[in-house]
Amino acid sequence: MSNRKDKIKNFIIENFLFGEAEDLKDDTSFLEEGIIDSTGILELVNYLEEEFELNVDDEELIPENLDSINNVTSYVEKKLC
Amino acid sequence: MNINKKICTRCILPDTFPGIKFNSNGICNHCLREEKAIKKAGEKKAAYRKRLDELIQTQRDKAPVYDVIMAYSGGKDSSYTLKLLKDRYDLKILAYTFDNHFTSPFAFKNIKNVTDRLQVDHIQIKPPWETGKHLFSLTAKKDIFPKTTLLRASSICTTCIGMVKSIVLKTALEMSIPLVAFGWSPGQAPIQSAIMKTNPNLNRQTQAAYLKAFPDETKKVINTYLVPDSYYEIYKDKFPYNIHPLAFFDYNEEKIKRELETIGWKIPSDTDTNSSNCLLNAYANHCHIIRNGFHPYVWEIANMVRQGIMDRNEGMEKIYTDQNKTMIKYVEEKLDL
Repeated sequence: MSNRKDKIKNFIIENFLFGEAEDLKDDTSFLEEGIIDSTGILELVNYLEEEFELNVDDEELIPENLDSINNVTSYVEKKLC
Repeated sequence: MNINKKICTRCILPDTFPGIKFNSNGICNHCLREEKAIKKAGEKKAAYRKRLDELIQTQRDKAPVYDVIMAYSGGKDSSYTLKLLKDRYDLKILAYTFDNHFTSPFAFKNIKNVTDRLQVDHIQIKPPWETGKHLFSLTAKKDIFPKTTLLRASSICTTCIGMVKSIVLKTALEMSIPLVAFGWSPGQAPIQSAIMKTNPNLNRQTQAAYLKAFPDETKKVINTYLVPDSYYEIYKDKFPYNIHPLAFFDYNEEKIKRELETIGWKIPSDTDTNSSNCLLNAYANHCHIIRNGFHPYVWEIANMVRQGIMDRNEGMEKIYTDQNKTMIKYVEEKLDL
């Protein structure tokens, strides 16, 4: 679990926060805080599909799955179990 | 070309691009991260072409009038997308142009020629000049969007595109049009978004984030163009698919221009190197480069160079050539800046 969460977190920090992670908590909303925009969400999806070899369906593109470190990690865990 | 910075030896991202890192061969972290995906790109694009063929089979002739609404700027990419949708699928298309008061006269001629030749219905919307002037003056003076958004586009372009996306979605909902098409280049957005059913919740949230960027006195103006809250209930079963086919069809700028010439589209002589329809673009680039230290198109063009769609020298030329001073002056005068 923590390994996957760390990978997701590192991806967010490296690609959307330019290495500055002070304000990023595990439940911080990416969209509300302007960390990721609508295109960024799709880049995150691209990363999840490549890194975890899963397929994100259209109907799964919802904030509940993709809008925070915790949400993304839970979603990935569910997809892989 | 004016290059006084370190550039990735594979794509064209500069060392001023936020968060970039280079390995000992001078290759950036974005090129290294994308290696795996690029190897599989051909296979993925073929799968998306098949998926679009299948989607169109299920959506064709189901709507009252139009199968697809196309966000149509008159530029090269949206003109080519329009041609593709007509030639390959023979869809009933509504082309929709957002005129931001800086649409080039050349683009208007191209719009007329292309829509006439393809026999496509065309409508356009033009906000009052006072609105346009206010929005573009605001975003010319400062960056109002989050840093992540500014990696891919200037504040001026993001303002315009945000309105365009909402207006065409609103129209699609009101007219029960099942497909919304854009002419995004293969470098502009990930292939995952190239065929995607619009998710109402996600749209509502991204629209709210867009609106939040504007000062309070401007929110009311912007809100006029966004999808109203009531639509999420009224049209909850009618949210369309977004498609941007250029992400997965062959993309070659010279071939595209040649094909477009056969339907009356001509290479414009009045726009900058990164746009074939907008007279505001050079100025938007200029403001972004001054404030952020990198060209707002560099992410898109770097993606295309990395994917082998654009020659690296051509990409360098597009990004590292100074902006046209006459065009900058024209916008400054028009906006009274």
